Amino acid sequence: MELNLEQDWKDIVHRCFRCGYCKFTYEFSDFNCPSYKKHRFETYSTGGRLWLIYGLISGEIPWSQGVANVLYACSTCGNCTENCRFDKFNDFLVDIIEAARAEAVINGFCPEKQKALIERIENSEMYNPYGEKNSDNEDLKKEYDLPDKAEWVYFIGCTSNYRQKNLRDATLRFLKKTNIDFTLIDEHCCCSPVMRTGQINSVKDFINYNIAQINNAGASKVITSCAGCYRTLKKDWLKFGADYDFQIYHTVELVKKLLDEGKLKFISEYNKTVTYHDPCHLGRHMDLYEIPREVYKHIPRIKFVEMKRNRENAWCCGAGGGVKIGYPEWSVEISKERLEEAKITGASVISSVCPFCKTNLSDANIKFNMNFEVIDLIEILDNIEFEISGN
Amino acid sequence: MNREVILKELEKIVGKEYATNRSEDLYIYSQDPGASLPRSVDFVVMPNTTEEVQAIVKLANQEKISIVPMGGGLTLSGLIIPVKGGIVLDMKRMNQILEINQFSRYALIEAGVTTGQIISHLNENFQDLQPPIPDAPPSATVAGNMLIHGSGYLSQKYGGHGAMINGLEVVLPNGEICKLGSCAVSDYWFDRGPIPDFIGLFISAFGTMGIITKLSIQLFPKPKMRDIVFGLMNSPKDIPNVLLKITATGYAEDILLGMQDKPEWMKGYIFIMTYITGDSEEDLDRQRKTLKRIYRKTNARFMKPSEKMKNLYLEKPIFAAGAADFRKGGGFEYVGAFMPLEKIPEAYEKGADLARKYGILPTLGSRLIGGVHTVVMFFSYSFNRADPKDMENAREALHETNKLALDLGGIPWKSELDGQKLILERIDPSYKKLMKTFQNALDPNKIMNSGNWEVN
Ligand SMILES: Cc1cc2nc3c(=O)[nH]c(=O)nc-3n(C[C@H](O)[C@H](O)[C@H](O)COP(=O)(O)OP(=O)(O)OC[C@H]3O[C@@H](n4cnc5c(N)ncnc54)[C@H](O)[C@@H]3O)c2cc1C
Ligand code: SF4
Ligand code: SF4
Repeated sequence: MELNLEQDWKDIVHRCFRCGYCKFTYEFSDFNCPSYKKHRFETYSTGGRLWLIYGLISGEIPWSQGVANVLYACSTCGNCTENCRFDKFNDFLVDIIEAARAEAVINGFCPEKQKALIERIENSEMYNPYGEKNSDNEDLKKEYDLPDKAEWVYFIGCTSNYRQKNLRDATLRFLKKTNIDFTLIDEHCCCSPVMRTGQINSVKDFINYNIAQINNAGASKVITSCAGCYRTLKKDWLKFGADYDFQIYHTVELVKKLLDEGKLKFISEYNKTVTYHDPCHLGRHMDLYEIPREVYKHIPRIKFVEMKRNRENAWCCGAGGGVKIGYPEWSVEISKERLEEAKITGASVISSVCPFCKTNLSDANIKFNMNFEVIDLIEILDNIEFEISGN
Repeated sequence: MNREVILKELEKIVGKEYATNRSEDLYIYSQDPGASLPRSVDFVVMPNTTEEVQAIVKLANQEKISIVPMGGGLTLSGLIIPVKGGIVLDMKRMNQILEINQFSRYALIEAGVTTGQIISHLNENFQDLQPPIPDAPPSATVAGNMLIHGSGYLSQKYGGHGAMINGLEVVLPNGEICKLGSCAVSDYWFDRGPIPDFIGLFISAFGTMGIITKLSIQLFPKPKMRDIVFGLMNSPKDIPNVLLKITATGYAEDILLGMQDKPEWMKGYIFIMTYITGDSEEDLDRQRKTLKRIYRKTNARFMKPSEKMKNLYLEKPIFAAGAADFRKGGGFEYVGAFMPLEKIPEAYEKGADLARKYGILPTLGSRLIGGVHTVVMFFSYSFNRADPKDMENAREALHETNKLALDLGGIPWKSELDGQKLILERIDPSYKKLMKTFQNALDPNKIMNSGNWEVN
């Protein structure tokens, strides 16, 4: 079931009973809403946010910077959607918060820092939220000897292309080794950051542009190494009315497929204790929990350990929903809590499948001297020998 | 002092991030999920230590501002919405589980520990112990529940929750810290103690006598196995007889009764769920047979439920918030009333009539406390929070239900202001006088949740 962004959410938001199941992990062992855990006032619980939204809709309270701040102090991690027990309501909690943010934007209450996202993305020199000059990826195409047209497009995503280049390059090397027929496009932001922060005015143009680029490349499949892009392309683009025929994959799905088909064999060992951080955008938002785990477990001699809060219960890295740009200090505090949880497992490596999670976990790792190796799964694969056959 | 100066003082006590008078916070704390109308709040403060609570109380005394202690805020009857403005003291940062004593079976906890937290702590670390908690959502606090004399799945067997308090640490309205119970004399918080028992003064007082910062609650052994024996009765008239017979066996851990007009097949019936516990299947089987025999002899039919239904009710605590979602309107409140067993049949009949009169689908239930010594009767009304008329209708129904409960010889529990007034109208005048004496002695400035239990 989809929620109509124009009206439906306004008709159901008052169903929230403010009972607070959504503050906790499923078995109540800890808080799971980063926002509530930080601020502790009821206002910052999911229920508090929903009641504020109802207050705005019903006219009981006016828009204000304070109300907007509460709406934006949420990493859209989706923990609440897992733990609210009200069926056919729980699925929409984050959608409702995002829809309310769009109203905040319309009413002129988008916080200043988050506005930078749209300003940079809409800047015709940039088209990315990092304020970097747009890369048309032609140099990369040359470097990796990629064709103009191919079956697959690797949608790099802004974070990998401008901040986590090693992750991007590891993905490119991996894809090359698999011998799949792939190329790159002159991509513009997938729009995840602006969708999450309610700045949705030009989203459709960006979607149409990217789809046209993918179609021009003749691709029937799109692969991305970013959990955020994956969710956005696969879910949000459709929500915004996109019409496309290609299929969307996360790199981890390709790795798993090759392993299952016996086409990929790991040769060298990875003698480390590794714990996996579920990216919200891949786990709770897309229900993809086991595939990454199965890939890790295939790596010879890896010691794979789970954190206490994992899968549906995973604690967020704190980067999403505009929190990294809007509340940078708090954002790394959230990651710090994740690293502390990882410490208890005895792992020396914390790994994920998302460049944005990697960025935030790394920032916290450095800031709080946590001494982890923070590395993406695709980077681990880049470090070990493997054999590809039959592709 | 003006408001901004008071806020600064509060910030000095608890830290800037835990004191607020921002309008968005005041809006949220000016209402609860029940049917009460919002009332205004001046500050919300979240203390972290007893000393911070003490400093806040002293400030409130000096400034003559009301303080309303709040746990989960889930009582539904507006008890945590200030009547005369002032400070809402959200206690949930004080959430340390200080001690689990496995010998004397008690937990010493801070007042902000939630029911979710205690159940998860015991499940993880003390698998043979279980806490007395209500079927309320997990963000309800243990203290909030004990202090309103709540009840739960262990109440039929072990009694009401207010009676399970072994000891309290209280910040009195004058700012003094006082320990009550065995802890006043000994290092162990194991009993109320053979000393004058003042703990009762703080139960069902709705924060008017002081602020509880720590409490010791009794814990109980966890049975290996649990099952439910379901039954259906044709008429509420049979209830007393069935309950007397079941409780005489000593088998029941919990007994819940219910009546609702939906789904259709339930209309007109009273269903009964008797929870039994044991160490083995044989043990349970023996109890099942006895109970089935009792059902048969008392006009109650044994009913085999679907596995799904059974598992739903076997979950501890039961997901009662599902009832709140009945109308999908986000609003729910019930009159809980402590009733004598002999009046229960009438309570069902008249309660259902009353609900119908207000156009509300009858949803009634009850739970036994301490055998048949008390039956808590629930007259539930869910409503659409987005429809002011529907809320008003629910308020009127609740008010009339309070009157009904009193007319039947019962007493509304955790009652909202109007219900408190009804009780005070009927209460023995000397009781009222004694209450006033305590209130004046402890809280001469009337700062403690003032407006509640107001005796003129
Ligand atoms: C779906 C649902 C099911 C429920 N089922 C049950 C049930 O099975 N059994 C039951 O007993 N109740 C039940 N309740 C009622 C209620 O939610 C619970 O009793 C709950 O535990 C109350 O705790 P609280 O923390 O929410 O209290 P609050 O509402 O926060 O406070 C209750 C009262 O205690 C006072 N108070 C709170 N903390 C302190 C303190 N530290 N010092 C002094 N005074 C204080 C408050 O001022 C208020 O007057 C249910 C409620 C709901 C919504
Ligand atoms: S979002 Fe769901 S779980 Fe959270 S308070 Fe609202 S109804 Fe309860
Ligand atoms: S999405 Fe995450 S941060 Fe936002 S309200 Fe839900 S649990 Fe809290």
